[in-house]
Amino acid sequence: MRRLPVYLLLDTSGSMRGERIEAVKNGLQVLVSKLRQDPFALESVWISIITFDREVKQLFPLTDLESLQLPEITTPESGPTNMGAALLKFCEQLDKELLKGSAEQKGDWRPLLFLMTDGKPSDLADFRKAVPMVKARNLGTIVGCAAGAEAQDSYLKELTDTVVHLDTADSSTLVSFFKWVSDSIGTGNKSVGTSEDIVLPAPPAEVHLIV
Amino acid sequence: MSNIITVNGADGKSYQYVDDGSPMQGGMKDVFFSPDRSYVVAFFRDKQDHNSKERLNNIVNTFRERIFSQAGGEYWQDLFCWPTSTVEYNGRTGIIVPVYQKHFFFTTGYNPGAAQLNASIKGKEKEGKWFASPQFRSKNFKLHLDKSELGDWFKFFLIAIRISRAVRRMHAAGLAHSDLSYKNVLIDPCTGNAAIIDIDGLVVPGKYPPDVVGTPDFIAPEVMSTLHLQKNDPNRKLPRIETDRHALAVMIYMYLLYRHPLRGGKVNDIDPQKDEELSMGSKALFIEHPADQSNRPKLNQVKPTHLPWADITKIPYTVCGPYLKALFDKAFIDGLHNPALRPTANDWEEALIRTTDLMQPCQNPSCDQKWFVFDNTTKPCCPFCGTVYRGQLPILNLYWSRKPGSFVPENQRLMVYTGQNIYTWHSNRNVFPNERLTADQRKPVADFHLHNGKWILINRRLPDLKDLDADRVVAFGESIELKDNQKILLSKEDGGRLAIVQIVSA
Repeated sequence: MRRLPVYLLLDTSGSMRGERIEAVKNGLQVLVSKLRQDPFALESVWISIITFDREVKQLFPLTDLESLQLPEITTPESGPTNMGAALLKFCEQLDKELLKGSAEQKGDWRPLLFLMTDGKPSDLADFRKAVPMVKARNLGTIVGCAAGAEAQDSYLKELTDTVVHLDTADSSTLVSFFKWVSDSIGTGNKSVGTSEDIVLPAPPAEVHLIV
Repeated sequence: MSNIITVNGADGKSYQYVDDGSPMQGGMKDVFFSPDRSYVVAFFRDKQDHNSKERLNNIVNTFRERIFSQAGGEYWQDLFCWPTSTVEYNGRTGIIVPVYQKHFFFTTGYNPGAAQLNASIKGKEKEGKWFASPQFRSKNFKLHLDKSELGDWFKFFLIAIRISRAVRRMHAAGLAHSDLSYKNVLIDPCTGNAAIIDIDGLVVPGKYPPDVVGTPDFIAPEVMSTLHLQKNDPNRKLPRIETDRHALAVMIYMYLLYRHPLRGGKVNDIDPQKDEELSMGSKALFIEHPADQSNRPKLNQVKPTHLPWADITKIPYTVCGPYLKALFDKAFIDGLHNPALRPTANDWEEALIRTTDLMQPCQNPSCDQKWFVFDNTTKPCCPFCGTVYRGQLPILNLYWSRKPGSFVPENQRLMVYTGQNIYTWHSNRNVFPNERLTADQRKPVADFHLHNGKWILINRRLPDLKDLDADRVVAFGESIELKDNQKILLSKEDGGRLAIVQIVSA
């Protein structure tokens, strides 16, 4: 039974402090509890969360839904948004954690990466260095999420064609984003159309999918 | 904010739904409940073209009537969740579908320990995947289902019979479901019920082409291996009745053995996506293929919570008995890459019903499966918990009379246990247990008991029941003691059967 690795890269910089980070935490709870109601996800989904502000932290490595416990997420008062470093960390961890297939053993499914930010990368050099490295890793899907008015889509678009823009980063919007993420993760179990590849579900009404 | 929206159905009735902004989402549709939750309004996210609308129109009218308005039509109400009308609203096309019956929602769901993880599925739909995956019945998996939700093995046979019957009926009407999967079939192991849902994708051969290829795990190999071709390419294979037959076989295998018949250890490509396409497509291979063992599950690579079901040497498919073994061979060996050889839904229905006659309750009260198929040996043993049967085990071998006075065997037998019944489809070979049975035919005609250490058959409603050895007619309410090699005439009618008793002492 192959695993489906899901990496969530979350902006925890100063601007996320307050309502936003609470909404993210709430959203993660919703995400996990929704996935725990999905027999397909329970069989295959493994999640890892990496947060980034001044520091980049992997909160936990790939973990199955049965054992997963969401740790406390904290935000500094202010400081840079080291999104580039987060992507580099992601590549490093992915290379360690991904079970690659061999002639004798089936490996993991292509991983999914969700990156959410309410700003833009402060470490642009690292960001530009990381983008081709992420792309070279043959991921299943990369979704960039720009939350709130100050979030800039343009950087995320360098990383992926699938950028979701949330006009507001209030709690109900963020929670609906995480619900959408859980639906996206479950796509592999749904009926497949005759004409197209597997597609992401339609985003909730408040979200704009920029392709 | 919730709004109640009123829409007009094509059938002239008006329908309402509650729009709270976050509908349930299926692969193709957004689904809203009516205020009284007696039906749902399901809108297609994509615009439906003329052809699709015409198809929907036919599904809710012509095809529905073809199945429901005939003799025995009532019977299908429980087996299909059939759309009743179409609606148009704000340029979107939708269908009205009755809500699922109560038993298709979890009453308990997870085991009590799941509360520690804050996880609950109480009130959620019982989609088949919960019951087709071994980990949800493994006590080593924290989120396993509560024992009260799992039913027993006999119930899974009832489920498989009902699904086969429903598919047989659709196929008889010239319709293919095109997306049979555990997502589109709800099951209830507590009662043995099953219902086919998501009927809007019906394929009518030559008329309405499918718009889905199916759901992973159930897509037929020929569909999988031609996915890369354009839809109008003559070599492209799309869902049809033969692909439904593949999906049905996979589903029956999964509900009885809790593993996928084609997902073994063989790697066909290092890339997971390509491997999936090959392993489910052109290189698909039965994990229990007797000659080619290259796709056997590798037990050092399976999750411990998938055992013992992933171990095909411990629980081989032959535990399902001889009739089903033959059909699994046809479906996953002969017919896997040769659609014309796949068993029909009718074949499955018959074989499953005959197999239930071979079932014996396990004598171990804490056996999870509770039932097993008699393995035709002199030392019967439950293959699931290993409990050996103790005591006398009578079996009725059934014969029928081609011409008066001579009886021929027909590879049909009935296991005896306390509470086992004889029905008219046992006493007469012209009766078959399906939707066409009259209410009277559904009632047992005789029953078995272990009485004072002896097995007896009590006649209730068999007018011709006769102990041929003693040349004694057994009147209603009278009993007959079962002895080895004894001949009992069950019916003198055309198609009437003779039973020869065989007693295994274990």
